This record gives sequence, structure tokens and C-alpha cells, in this order.
Amino acid sequence: MTNEDVEKILQSTSKVAPPVDPALLERIAGSIQPSLQPVRPLLPTWVLTGGLAVICAAVAVTAAARSGFHGIEKLRPWDCVLIFSALAVLVCAAGREFVSQLIPGSRQSLGAGSLLIIGCTVLLGTFSLVFRDYRTDHFISAGIACLRTGILLAVPAAVLSWLLVRRGFAVNPVAAGLTGGALAGLCGVTMLELHCPDFQALHVLVWHTAVLPVSAVIGALTGWALHRRTT
Amino acid sequence: MNSGDDLNTLMGRYQAGDFAAVAALVDRVSPQLHRFFVAQTAIRSDADDLLQETWLRIHRVRHTYRPGEPVLPWFYAIARRVRIDHYRRASRTTARERRLEEAAGMTVTPPPEEGQGEDLETLLAPLSDSQREILRMMKVAGMSLEEVARATSCSVGSVKQKVHRAYQNLRDRMTVMGPKSRSGRETP
Repeated sequence: MTNEDVEKILQSTSKVAPPVDPALLERIAGSIQPSLQPVRPLLPTWVLTGGLAVICAAVAVTAAARSGFHGIEKLRPWDCVLIFSALAVLVCAAGREFVSQLIPGSRQSLGAGSLLIIGCTVLLGTFSLVFRDYRTDHFISAGIACLRTGILLAVPAAVLSWLLVRRGFAVNPVAAGLTGGALAGLCGVTMLELHCPDFQALHVLVWHTAVLPVSAVIGALTGWALHRRTT
Repeated sequence: MNSGDDLNTLMGRYQAGDFAAVAALVDRVSPQLHRFFVAQTAIRSDADDLLQETWLRIHRVRHTYRPGEPVLPWFYAIARRVRIDHYRRASRTTARERRLEEAAGMTVTPPPEEGQGEDLETLLAPLSDSQREILRMMKVAGMSLEEVARATSCSVGSVKQKVHRAYQNLRDRMTVMGPKSRSGRETP
């Protein structure tokens, strides 16, 4: 028995289709008719992705402007290029993935789980290349302050992002929530890199990076809770 | 013009508010979706309800279809969501009913429904849920690997791997069972 034999058998058996009651089809078409109005299709993926990236950048820069650009002022130019180009790529990838999650039948480039893993790995790799001060002064207190700031900033970023893509439809609300949370978390990390002057390697590796998974998990839980409420 | 282009045009007209296009789409796509549900719920009335619910949801989110994109993955992605929601609701209800039955010391076995034991379904029975779903999309709806990947939110590589495993499984079983019982029926 070969694959071709299996293929032939599958083809022959799949031709037998059970009929659908014509009255049911009529009822379906009839139920749609009263509310049939012209609709405007969603904007192209690249426009929505660009919009999400602009929102993230605007929120992070605005927040850093209010609390001071102490981090970026202290960074060397090449370190700036490395960190912010990595963040820009991740924000675009997360934005693209978020838009895909909200359009049924879209091509999935990464997947929500892979995006989170790749995001954390890229951040950890970049930070470990740039930061070489291995002291751990005020590790917990300073770390919790940064984590809180990052997550609090992710909230407005998530709300504004949702406003932009609110016409979408999540076929997997948990994955959509996780991706949206990750995108908002990246906004929080960007703000911390602009603002935080604490360059101790462990502080940045643990607490700055933690904003991404924590925010993604909060997003996933929100997606799950909202979906459960609506169904 | 092939069938996919035709459905694309109908979707465009549906978005523009043309009722004739809606009726044509319902006629064209419903048999496939209905079969997709019948195969998974085994109860025909449930499949009818799921089909209606799917169309209501399709109608609510019709703006998320973008002209030029493959249309069948869009329909199937929504149908899968409706099926998952139904399954979750049903499993919650079944768990409650089971508790009540256990308390009353009785069990109920649902009678077999008409439409159960279709040839393709009998053939696919030994496969896993995801393998069956993918083969149904490919053989019944005639979707490509890329379209199935879009409908199931998987990568093309993952779909290919599932198809390969499904074929391997079917090949092994058919070799063991012989030609008589392949379709699950005696040949007259």
C-alpha cells in the first residue's frame, strides 16, 4: 500500500456529501438579510502593524520624557543602536503577529508562544552583551520598582493598541491576549531602557526582561477571562 | 475563473451589502461547513445549530475578510472557533448533567443519529483529532496545505508533518485490514 493508494481511497470516500436541508439554508440567508449593510474591510496588515509600532514608540517616549531620559543618556552609541534596533524588530514582529491573531485565516508567521520565547531570548542576549556590571546592589527593591513601572506603562499601550485593532476578531482569544500583552510589555521594556540608569547586568536581565513575560501572561489571562464572559 | 476567485468575488459583494451574494455564499459554502460539523459532533441537529451560529458570526465579523486573501481559510477559522466554543459549553453542561445522573443513579446513552458512520469518517476514525481535521479540510473542502495552515493557525511545516503521519497511520491500518473493510462496509 502506497500514499497514492491512500490518496485514491480518500478521494473516492470524500465525494459522498450529506445534503443540507434547503429550509435551513433559507433560514440562514433570511436571518442575515435584515442586518445586511455595506462594511469597510480592515486596513492592510502593514498599516495596522505600523500603527501599533508608532503607538508603542509614542507611549514609551512620552513616559520616558516625563520621568527623564537617564538611561539612554548614559548608554554608549553602539549599545543604543544594539538595544533599540533589537526592540524595534521585536515590536514590529509582535505587532505583525497581533494583527494576524485578529484576522481569521491569516498566515501565522511566528505563533504566540514562539514570539514570547524569541522575544525573551533576544532581550536576554542583547542585554548580556551590553551590560557587564555584575554587582547586585538594591537588587529586589530597585527591580520591583522597574517591573512595576514597565507593567503600568504596558496598560495604556495595550489599551491604545486595542483601540486601533478593535474591529478584528480573535479566533484564539488567549493567543491574541498573549501577543497583545507581549507587544505592550515590549513598550514597557523600551521605556525602561530609555529611562532606567541602573546598569547592573542582573537588574536589567531579570527585572527589565521580566516585564515582557509578565505582561504577556496578564494579556493571555485577560483574553481568556473576556472570552469566558462572552461565551 | 476558478472556485476560489468566485468565492472571493461573492465575499466582496457580501461586504458591499448584496443579498444575492449572501444567498449564493450560503448555498456554496454551507454543505462543506455542515459536513465539517457533522463529522465532529456526530449529532445532526447540533451540526445544524453550529452552522447557523457560524453564519451569524461570519456576518458579524465579515469586515475582517480582506479582498484578495484566500476565502476558505477565513470561513474555516471562524467555524473552528464556533466548534470549540460549542464543545466547551457542551462539556460544562455534560459534566453538570452527569453529576445529576449519578446522583439519581441513572445513565443515558444517546441513540445513534442518521449521518453517523460516513465512509470518510470511518476511514479517518483511528486518526487523532487534529489529523482528521486537516484531512477533512484537504479532501472535503479541497484546501491546499497553505490554506489549511491559515485556517488552523499552524505553520505549513506542521500541517505537512500531520498529513505525513496521518497517511502513514492509514497506510499501516489499510495494509493490516485488507481491501474489504477499508471503507468500513462490505462490498455488495
